[in-house]
Order: sequence, then structure tokens, then C-alpha cells
Amino acid sequence: MAIVYEFVWQVLHVLLHIHRTLITWFRIRLRNWNGRLWSRALTALIVPMALSFPNQKNIVPAPGKRVDRRYRWGADGKSLEKLPDHIGLLIAEEEPRYTDIANLVVWCMAVGISYVSVYDNYGVFRRDNSRLMDEILKQQQELLDLEGSKQLCVEFLNNGTDKQDQQVLSCQSVLKVLSPDDGKLRIVQAAQQLCRAVEQRDKTSKDINVTVLDSLLRESKSTPDPDLVLKFGPVESTLGFLPWHIRLTEFILTRLFKTLL
Amino acid sequence: MSWIREGELNLIEKLSANILKAGPMPKHVAFIMDGNRRYARKRHVERQEGHTQGFDKLAETLRWCLNLSIHEVTVYAFSIENFKRSKDEVDGLMELAKQKFIRLLQEQENLEKHGVCIRVLGDLTLLPLDLQQHIARAVVATRTHNKCFLNVCFAYTSRHEIANAVREMAWGVEQGLIKSSDVSEALLGHCLYSSNSPNPDLLIRTSGEVRLSDFLLWQTSHSCLVFQSVLWPEYSFWNLCDAILQYQLNHRPLQKARDQHREEQALQQHEADRACVADLLQHHGNGKPLDAQRRQEALLNYTASREERVQDFLGALQHKRDSFLTDLTSQAALA
Repeated sequence: MAIVYEFVWQVLHVLLHIHRTLITWFRIRLRNWNGRLWSRALTALIVPMALSFPNQKNIVPAPGKRVDRRYRWGADGKSLEKLPDHIGLLIAEEEPRYTDIANLVVWCMAVGISYVSVYDNYGVFRRDNSRLMDEILKQQQELLDLEGSKQLCVEFLNNGTDKQDQQVLSCQSVLKVLSPDDGKLRIVQAAQQLCRAVEQRDKTSKDINVTVLDSLLRESKSTPDPDLVLKFGPVESTLGFLPWHIRLTEFILTRLFKTLL
Repeated sequence: MSWIREGELNLIEKLSANILKAGPMPKHVAFIMDGNRRYARKRHVERQEGHTQGFDKLAETLRWCLNLSIHEVTVYAFSIENFKRSKDEVDGLMELAKQKFIRLLQEQENLEKHGVCIRVLGDLTLLPLDLQQHIARAVVATRTHNKCFLNVCFAYTSRHEIANAVREMAWGVEQGLIKSSDVSEALLGHCLYSSNSPNPDLLIRTSGEVRLSDFLLWQTSHSCLVFQSVLWPEYSFWNLCDAILQYQLNHRPLQKARDQHREEQALQQHEADRACVADLLQHHGNGKPLDAQRRQEALLNYTASREERVQDFLGALQHKRDSFLTDLTSQAALA
């Protein structure tokens, strides 16, 4: 009997995998098809308008396209009732796609998000953050004009210091690159610090509470906890992302990048 | 038994359970039982009724978990943040909890028959004294049972739990039981309220909210998260099966991530021990550099003595916690 159940279980899981693959395939096709449909519809509307009003400025997007995009995204952001202050991008994919992640970061900043964190559970971005940085700068120039890149500045915050607080104030948006070491390990280091203080009789154990620990774990006083985390990848888990900071964070768990972009 | 509904699965449910059990099953499931108040609004009944129905649903879900051979369940019953709700609602919830714990104590035989061990995780000192005493009696009475485990998070938030664990380690340092260099991820885990349980494999939140709300943030870092839109009092066996299916689909990558994290943890501990030994040799050595074999011996000795210190400290901590509960039960007996 056990063999029968096992066989049925295998069949069930194969069907589930096929179901998931089909849905993903359909979503990608639908997005592409929709994209083509919209661009055709727009062209059909805009061309007659351009022909009937020859004195008007050229409405069809031209080289000024990048400026339009930046203002449009900024306007999109302002039109939303509430924007998160801090978005986390949790990359749970085996092979992260730097261009796609850079795109996402640039879009977040263009819409007006003050803090963006990028995390992967292998610590790849942390170790090799120059590659991500280059990709982001490249996408900033491609998607927005050069002038835009002056407004949006990217800071890598590794350890909070007063000096970095000052630098942050001059930037419109801040990017943080995180790894699992910023999660549990940071909490353990804070605990060691407090225990050392107790060892040296600077503190007693009764002095330790949530507020004390929170102030040690906060990068800087101005950095808010993540309001929203977008998870990309096949695993439905936080995979060690900042356990202390995510107590009220909303999670959107998506399986593939392509369905969002 | 009031806390675990009596009954068996029907034929279709039994068949589905057997099929699911052919694959990897979670050993420990955590529930955020959200949606009682929304359910009460939907059904046009009092809020208190929503919470009562929520408790009944918990009893039913525990029965399903036992049928599915899930032997450990943790539930988020009352958060420290919930104290901010209206006095009426908080008093109502305290009264409901008191009644349920009193009822539990009346069913000692059944508890023993099913081998149910009840644990309550949280800062019990924040609760009314009579409720603390009932809880203490229930926990002490079921302490030795080991067939299935129910952990009820009451007056709990994860941040308080972590801060409390750090405080306990600091207490250990104050008492001279451990050194600050002994503090590690593993030790912190052993100082949490949930130290007697393995980490949850699966975390389910109902009612469609997609937050963790300060629940087991440390323990669920590599758990499968399932957010379901059903309201808790309307939870069904099929919702549970759906969540378990999600767990099975995520099982392998999660196992891989967990193993990798464990390896990194072990490496970090090894490095920390090496650094401590190097420090010790520098301070106590006679200036001559030791050969590799002596260094290795020193490292092994240090690791063994650290582990012994940690075991003694954890024993003392457990004793402190047990005494707190037995003091409450003797207070209750005297009253």
C-alpha cells in the first residue's frame, strides 16, 4: 500500500511542476503579447494626432524619451498614496542576473524610494559589490539621462558611522548591499559587545532590553526597517534576511524575475 | 479533550494524508492564527465569539496535525503588542486563556494518554498572576510527556525573546559561568524561550496578511513561509494540506540552504575558537612559538572546556526557569 501512495505522490508532484512551468510560460507570453499590443495601440493613436496637429510639439517619443521616462516615473511615484521608505530585494536565485537587479534598483530610486537593500543568501553581492555597482551606474545612464544620475546617488553602507550619516543626507536614495552576516551574525556580535560590557562591569544584565539591542543593530538612526521585501527565486523563505529588522515587513514572494519585469 | 479535538479523518482525508506522507513531512509547524476579529465581523457576532471559535479551530488543527504525524506545533496566541488593544478585549482574551488552561488541567488523564507536552513561550510576568499560576501548573504537569508538543506563544514578541536571550547570556557572564567570547549563534539559540524545540520547518499565516509580526524571527530564517488568505476560524484540512504541499516543493532547496548555513556557523565557531586560543597563548605563553601539534592540542582543549562551560551554563539556566515555574505552582497551591 505504501508503494501505491508513493507512486501517487510522485505523479502529483510531477503534475504540480508541469502546472507551475505552464503558468510561468503563459505569464511571460502574455506580458510580451500585451507589451506589443499596447505599443501598437499607442502608435495607432499617436500618429493621427501628430498628423492632425502639425504645429504641436512632436508627441511621439524621440531622443527626449529618457527625460520623459524619468519624469513619468517620478510622477508615478508621487501619484501613489503611500510609498515604502525602504524596499528590500531578496534574491534567492542560484545565478543572480545583475542587469535585472540593477534595473529594479534604478526603478525603485526613480519612483522615489529612499532606501533600497539588495540581499542574497550566498553573500555574493557583498563580496563582489563592484560588479553590481557598475551595472547600476550603467542602467542609470541607459534608463535615465546623465543629469539624472547626479540626483540619484548610490551609497554602500557597510557599517554605520557618523561620517556616513552625513554622506547619506546629501543623497536622495541610499543602496545597501546585505548578506547573511548582516543578519544573525550582527545580532551575535551585538550580544558579545553587551556581554563584554557586563564582564567589564560597565553594564549589568538587567540593563539589557529591546531598546538597547535595537540601537546597536540599527545601521544609523535614520535608516528605517524594511517596509516591503520582494523575494525573487524558487524558495519560499527569508533565507536569513535581517531577522531583527523584518518584524513588520510585508513580503511579496515571487518565483521568477521575468514575470515581474 | 478540549485542546485536541477527538475524531479521525474521513476516507478522502485519510487517503490524501497517506499520499502526502509519502513525501517529506514537516516535523514542526508554526501557525499565526490571524483573522478571528474579521471572522466575527463577517458573521456579525461578538469579537469574543470570534476568539472562541479561533480556539476551537486550533483544537481541530492539532487533531489534523497528529493525523498527519506532525508532532510539534507552535502557535501565536497573544503578542505583547496586543496589550495595546481595548481593555475589554484584552480582559476577554485573558479570561478565555484562563478557562482553557483550567480545563486543560482537568483533563490530565487524556493529556497523559496522548503524551501532550504543553509549553508557554513569552514573558509570563506581564500576565495577571492567576493566569501565570494556571499556566505554570499546566506546563509542570505535562513536562515529562514526549509524544507531541504544543508551544503556545503568550505575551510574546520575537524581539523580546532575542533580547531576553542576550540578557540571560549576560547573566551567565555575571555569574562567571561563561565568558563573553563563548557567545555564539548556537548559544543564543539555546537561550531563547523555544530552546527545547527544533526550528519550525513550516510557518503558516492565515487571513491574507503577509507579515511575520514579530513571531519567531530568529527561528524561521530558513523555514518555508506560506501565506494563506483564509481566515483562521475557517481553516480547513485542505488548507493545511496545501501548505504542506508548498513545504514539500521547497524542501530540497531549503535543506541545502540550511546545511550551508550550518557549515558557515561551524566555520565561524572554529575561527572564533582559534582566535581565542591564539590570544590565550600570547598572554600566557613563554614567548616561544608552539609547533602545529601543540597548537592543535590547545585548540581541542579550549573547545572542550568551552563546551563544558556552556553546558553548565545551560543547565543553570534551565534550573532557573524550572524554579520560576515551580515557585508559581507552590504559590497557587498555597492560595
